[in-house]
Amino acid sequence: MAQAQVRANVRPAVRLAETPPRRPFRWMNVFIYVMLGIFTITSLGPFIFSFFSSFKTFSHILDFPPTLFPQPWTWDNFATILSDPAFLRWILNSFIYAVGAAILNVLFSAMAGYALSRLRFPGKEVVFLLTLAVMMVPIPILVIPKFLIMNSLRLTNTFFALLIPAMAQPFSVFLMVQFMKGLPRELEESAMIDGASYWRIFSQVILPLVKPALTAVAILSFQAAWNDFLWPLLVLDSRDMYTLPLGLYFFERDHYTQYNLLIAGSMFNTIPMLILFFIFQRYFIEGATTGAVKG
Amino acid sequence: MSTQSSSAAAATGIHVTPATAARRSSRQPTGKQRRETLTAYLFLMPYLIVLGVFTVFATIYVLGLSLFKLDIGFTAPQFVGIQNYQLLFQQLSAPFDSDFWTSMINILKFTVVVVIGETILALLLAVLLQNIPAIKTRGIFRTILYMPAVTSSVAISLIFLWFYNPQGVINYLLSLVHIPGPHWLEDPLFALPALMLLNIWTTTATFMLYFLAALQDLPTELFEAARVDGAGPFQLFTNVTIPLLRPALFLVIALATIGAFQMFDQAKFMTEGGPLNSTLTPLLQIYNTAFRDNHFGLASAMSVLLFILIFVVTIIQRRFIDVNA
Repeated sequence: MAQAQVRANVRPAVRLAETPPRRPFRWMNVFIYVMLGIFTITSLGPFIFSFFSSFKTFSHILDFPPTLFPQPWTWDNFATILSDPAFLRWILNSFIYAVGAAILNVLFSAMAGYALSRLRFPGKEVVFLLTLAVMMVPIPILVIPKFLIMNSLRLTNTFFALLIPAMAQPFSVFLMVQFMKGLPRELEESAMIDGASYWRIFSQVILPLVKPALTAVAILSFQAAWNDFLWPLLVLDSRDMYTLPLGLYFFERDHYTQYNLLIAGSMFNTIPMLILFFIFQRYFIEGATTGAVKG
Repeated sequence: MSTQSSSAAAATGIHVTPATAARRSSRQPTGKQRRETLTAYLFLMPYLIVLGVFTVFATIYVLGLSLFKLDIGFTAPQFVGIQNYQLLFQQLSAPFDSDFWTSMINILKFTVVVVIGETILALLLAVLLQNIPAIKTRGIFRTILYMPAVTSSVAISLIFLWFYNPQGVINYLLSLVHIPGPHWLEDPLFALPALMLLNIWTTTATFMLYFLAALQDLPTELFEAARVDGAGPFQLFTNVTIPLLRPALFLVIALATIGAFQMFDQAKFMTEGGPLNSTLTPLLQIYNTAFRDNHFGLASAMSVLLFILIFVVTIIQRRFIDVNA
């Protein structure tokens, strides 16, 4: 109120002052777009440059000065990589890990989110506070005990070792709670009167209403698993079980100086993720900023 | 099912006086409440298993392990008390001879540079985006600038191995301004800065989104009032925007610090901690101690010390940056 009054009082003054600042404002715009142009080059440039370079031959990959477009173009790098059956297997393993983690995480975090946001039960606050606390714990510090647990369960070098720790992430649960707690209570009450069970209310009333959250969780879990390097490095030890990032690590050791092959190999990891990002960018950004809202 | 049980509860409710019914529901759970509790825990079960085993139990486990001498497959675990910690603190008398303390010194340098670099850059990018008037153009730039944060550290490491080659594109760009480029990853002086630069490149975009979200939530009245009082764009930024952004600033600095302290992927993938341990990070040293040298107890003690360091640094940051603390 007071502010509105102040603004009303000074309005004529603003109008007088409006004409002079116009010019510096335009210079600001030029500055903004020049800066954005520079940062666009630094963000996008490495991807474009390495994409074209993945079609270069070994003798041209380190040309000095470098050229953007390959001369001559060659498919040989991709042919060499795809002729290695292990490489195809790594891509498949990565898909299994990423899709599996996404499906399990969506299901289990939605279930946990439903209980924490819509049901009343003793211990609810404890579980929710624990979830918040755990989100702050640096997870890689726990790799030693996590590995030893997997090792004593005799699960190392299996998909279980990859999927079990990834199947219900505190962050996803938190995201689900945030989305579900705002839904009106009448929804469930009328379903309850119609005799629906909790599971039916969850799967047929609540889930369809939080589809954006489900998509965000699916995408973030897919991304985390697809890009994961540390955990597969610890729990996988046979060549046919490697995921793509781990395979690329050993691939790099085998083809140390053959940058043409390494760059082409990295494309198999980068391109699927970028395609996914362009399709679902809204969810990527929503998922990433939920953390910010929390703070 | 649920109608049956609730109507049954209603039927029994008729025979008791309202007072006893109220007392009953507050003291002992009714059938419906008991069912709701059971349902809730069934829904929570998979999550509670993961949370219980891989975080709560794992935290207790790592504390316990740090008191043992443990090598997998050779001898039985042996309780050694605080000997692992003693060993690490004895090495502190000559920190540069100890891999662990070398890694700690490296990560402190790395964290300071990376956190300052990415906080300033993220804030700059967010302010730039915020000042684009057209929403659609803003969205396009936001997408482009976010791309480095989407892709995997491994794929990016592969690309940057090639960029950092003495004949690579970075040295080519330096040669354009007549600076002789170093052998980035083979030179102990330049390997860590090379990883800092790479890390800033990959992680800034996420924090840019945090700042952008915070900027969009700022009350516009305050800016108008300040502008009316004659504040220029620079004054507006330093005297209005920055103080209002303090909570977001704390969040970004804290998360950036926690992330930087855990640097592993690039150090393992690009340099294996070399040359001359110049890019050895604590997490890589923990990995080497456990999985190469088979000293799981000692590696656990290192994990605990790293955790304490991160925790203390975050608390200090909170006291200095966050006004609400």
